[in-house]
Amino acid sequence: MRIHLVTMPWQPIELPSLQVGLLHSLLDRTRPDDEVREFHGSLRWAEFLLDRSRGALRPGDHVAVGSESIFDGLGDWVFSGVLYNDPEWGVARLKEYATRRGTDISTATAMRVHAEEFIDESAGAILDDAPDVVGFTSTFMQNVSSLALAAELKRRRPGLTVVFGGSNCDGPMGHALHRNHRFVDHVVRGEGEYALPALLAHIDAGTAPADVPGLCWWDGPESRANEEPRRTVAPGDIPSPDYDLWQAAIDASPLVEYVHPKLVVEGARGCWWGEKHHCTFCGLNGSAMTFRAKPGTRLWDEVDRLVRRHRILDVVTVDNIIDMAYFKDFLPLAADSDWDLRMHYEVKSNLTPEQLALLARAGAVHIQPGIESLANRTLDLMDKGVGAARNIRTLRECENHALTCSWNYLYGFPGETAEDYASVIDQMPALVHLQPPGGAHRIQLERFSPHFADPALGFHRRRPAEMYRHVYDLPEEQLADLVYLFDTPPAGIGGDTEARLKAAARDWYTGHPASTLVLEQPDGADGEEVLLVHDRRHGWSHRTHRLTGWRAAALRHLEAGRTRPALLRLLSADGNPPSAGELDAWLGDAVALGLLFDDGRSYVSLPTWHVPVRSVERTRGPDGAADGPSVPDNGEKAAV
Amino acid sequence: MSPLPAPPGRTAPALPTGQVHRIRGRLVTVDQPLRLGAGGRRAAAAVQFLRECQSHDLVVRWIPATDDPLFTGPAHEVSAIAGLLRHLPAPGPLPGEPPELAVWRDRHAYGQLHHRRGPDFVTVMDRREPSAAARFTIDDPDLLATFRTVQVPTAVAGLSALGREAVGLLAAERLAWVTGGWVVALPPRIRRWPVPCTDI
Repeated sequence: MRIHLVTMPWQPIELPSLQVGLLHSLLDRTRPDDEVREFHGSLRWAEFLLDRSRGALRPGDHVAVGSESIFDGLGDWVFSGVLYNDPEWGVARLKEYATRRGTDISTATAMRVHAEEFIDESAGAILDDAPDVVGFTSTFMQNVSSLALAAELKRRRPGLTVVFGGSNCDGPMGHALHRNHRFVDHVVRGEGEYALPALLAHIDAGTAPADVPGLCWWDGPESRANEEPRRTVAPGDIPSPDYDLWQAAIDASPLVEYVHPKLVVEGARGCWWGEKHHCTFCGLNGSAMTFRAKPGTRLWDEVDRLVRRHRILDVVTVDNIIDMAYFKDFLPLAADSDWDLRMHYEVKSNLTPEQLALLARAGAVHIQPGIESLANRTLDLMDKGVGAARNIRTLRECENHALTCSWNYLYGFPGETAEDYASVIDQMPALVHLQPPGGAHRIQLERFSPHFADPALGFHRRRPAEMYRHVYDLPEEQLADLVYLFDTPPAGIGGDTEARLKAAARDWYTGHPASTLVLEQPDGADGEEVLLVHDRRHGWSHRTHRLTGWRAAALRHLEAGRTRPALLRLLSADGNPPSAGELDAWLGDAVALGLLFDDGRSYVSLPTWHVPVRSVERTRGPDGAADGPSVPDNGEKAAV
Repeated sequence: MSPLPAPPGRTAPALPTGQVHRIRGRLVTVDQPLRLGAGGRRAAAAVQFLRECQSHDLVVRWIPATDDPLFTGPAHEVSAIAGLLRHLPAPGPLPGEPPELAVWRDRHAYGQLHHRRGPDFVTVMDRREPSAAARFTIDDPDLLATFRTVQVPTAVAGLSALGREAVGLLAAERLAWVTGGWVVALPPRIRRWPVPCTDI
C-alpha cells in the first residue's frame, strides 16, 4: 500500500509535524511493506505565497494569519472559498465581522486569492505519487485547508481513501467532520497509534472497520461512529518521530533563509494535575486526560538521536505538563550533556527555585508555567492549585535563572468580582521588573473544559464562536458538534475593572525592559545583616533601600512567600523579633514601596538577585549599569 | 536562628589570564588599554578575553590605547576591525576617538554572533550585519577540531596543512580572526540566554 501523510496550513513552518513524524515511524514498524510519503503542505504554502506574491507575502505573514488569528478564524477562511467552490463565499460576512471588531484582514485577503491554485497544485503533486490512502492530520486552523485538498483529491480520483485525524477530530468534532463531508472516508477520533494500523488492515482486506474503536466510517450513505476507545495508548507504544522527510523538505526550501528550524518531541500525554483538579477553563487535553509519560531516559535517548541526526539544538516539547519525574532523570541528563540546548517546556507554576534552576541548567530556558492570574480568588475559581504569591515567586525566580516565561493574564471567570482584582491591579506597577503577561484576555469557552461540560459552573448559554460563520457553510446545530470554541455572555469582571486590568498589563509590558529591582548583600557589615535593594523600576523613584537586622531577615524569609504569622514565628526563632505593631507597620511600608507583594494571604519578596540580559541592553550599550551589584549608586538611599 | 536560604549564585567565570582586570558582579574593568589594532598574539589574546566576557554575559569596561592603530589608523582599517568585532563589548568613549568606534558601541548587541555546542557539531549564528544574517553548522571533523583549537590564540604556522585550510575557511566566513600570524575564534559560546531567549 502507498500511504501519503499530509500536514496542511497552518502547521508552523519552522516545526516538523509531530503527528506526521509519529505516524511515519509507526507505519514503518507495523507495515514495513508499505510505502510512506509525506506532504508538507504548510511549508509548501509559505513557499507558494512567497513566489506568487513576488516576496510580498513572507513567512512572518504566515505566522500572523496561521498562529495569531486563531480566535478570528482567518487561516481557515483563507481556504473556505476553495472548499465551497465559490471565491466570494464568506467574504462579505468576514468583512462585516472585521469592521465591527476592528480586525485587520488585509494579509488574509491577500493570501486567499492564491488558495485555489495552491490546492490545485497540491492535489496534482500528491496524485503524481499514486497513493492508495491519504491521511490528514488537523489541529487548530488546519481543518478547512485539509478539507479543501481532500475534496479536490476525491474529485480527481474517487477511488482514493481519505482519512482524517488529529485534535480537531476528537470526540463529537470528529463525527461532525465526517458526516458533513462525504469525501472524507474515515475519521480517526482520539489517538492514532492503535486505530490507524487497524483501519489499514481493514482497507487491505476490504472489510468494514466496525471494530476499530472511535473510528467514523461510511456504511452506505450512513455515517457510523464507533464507540470511542476506553484505553489510552501506553507510553511504550508511542513511537519516536521520524523527521527525515521534513528535514529534506526544509533543506530544499527557499524558506530556510527565513526560519529557524526546531525539533518537536513528546514526553507525555494527558495532565497529571487535570486528573485530580481539572482547571475549569482548559480543554487542551480533549478526551484523553489520563497522564502517561515516557521514561525520562527514553525521552533523553530520543532527544539525543534527533539532535545528532538533524544537527538542531532547539527543541519544543508538546507535553501539556512536565512529568515531575523528569527532574530526576531527563533534565539531569540534559544538563550533563554540556550541549547548548534551547528547549521549551510547559510546567506547573509551583516549581521550587531548585527545580527552576535545574530547568535552566538543562537548557529548558523557555517555560510556560500556566500562571494565568495573580488573584487568589480567581485562581481558586479556576481550580489552579496554586496561589498568587507562588506565581509571583516563580516569575521572580525566572529572572534569577534567566528563564523566559510565557504567560497570559486570564479573566472572565464566573463568580469573580471587581474586589478580587482591586489589590492586584494596584500592585501591578511593583511587578514591572518581572516578566509581564503577553496581555490580559477574557477566557473563551473551550470544548472538553469543565466550564463546557458543566453549565452550572456559570456558562449556561453558549453557541459556536461567531468566527465559524465565515469559516463553515454549516447549520448551527452541526457547528455545535464540529467546533472547539464557543461564545458565551461575558462572565466575571467587566467595565472599568476590565479596562484597568488591561491598561495595567499594557503598562507592565512597556515598562519592563528598563526595569530592575535587585538585591545586594554587601561585604563587611560588622556582623550585622545588611541588604541593599537597588530600585531602577519604571515609574518608581530610582533609589537604593538599605535594610538591616530583622527587616533584612524578613525580606529574605519572604522570598519563599509566607503568611504574617509564619514570618513572625521565623523572626522570633531568629531572636530579637519585632513587636506585632512594628511588623505590621514594616509590612505595610514594604508593600507601599513595592518591595513585597501582598496577595491577601501571604507576602512575597519582589527583588531579584540577578537580572538576565534583556533587549534594552542592546540599545544602551555596555555602560556597566545593567545589573544590581554593579549599578552605580546614583539614586537616593532610603532606610526601610 | 532560622536558616535563610543561600541566594541563588552565579558561578564565577574562568576568564583567560593575560588581561589585568577587576570583576564585580557582572562588571569587568580592564585596567590597561587594549591593543587590538596592533595585531599578533597580543591582539588575539585581547579578543579571546573580550569573547569570553561576552560568553559569560559580563559587561566590560575597556578602552583602546590611543597610539594603537584601532585609534589612529585609516578609517577603512578601523571600520573593518570594528565591524568584525561588533559582537564583542565595545570600547568606552575617549576624546578624539575615530567615529567607527562610536558606531561599534551603537550597533553592538548581545548574541549578535554566537556559537552553540552540540554533541559532534557546533552551530553558529551571525547577525553582525543584519541584512546578511547567516547560520552555520560546523560538523566536518577537521573543521570542528580546528574551531576548537583556535578558541585560544594559536600560531597559524604551528597548524597542520588541514588546520591551515580550516583556518582559511573560518576566516573567509569571518568566524575567526587571523592577525599577524595568529588566529583566534570569534563567536562566543552562549552560556546565558537573554530574556526572551528567542531574541537571538
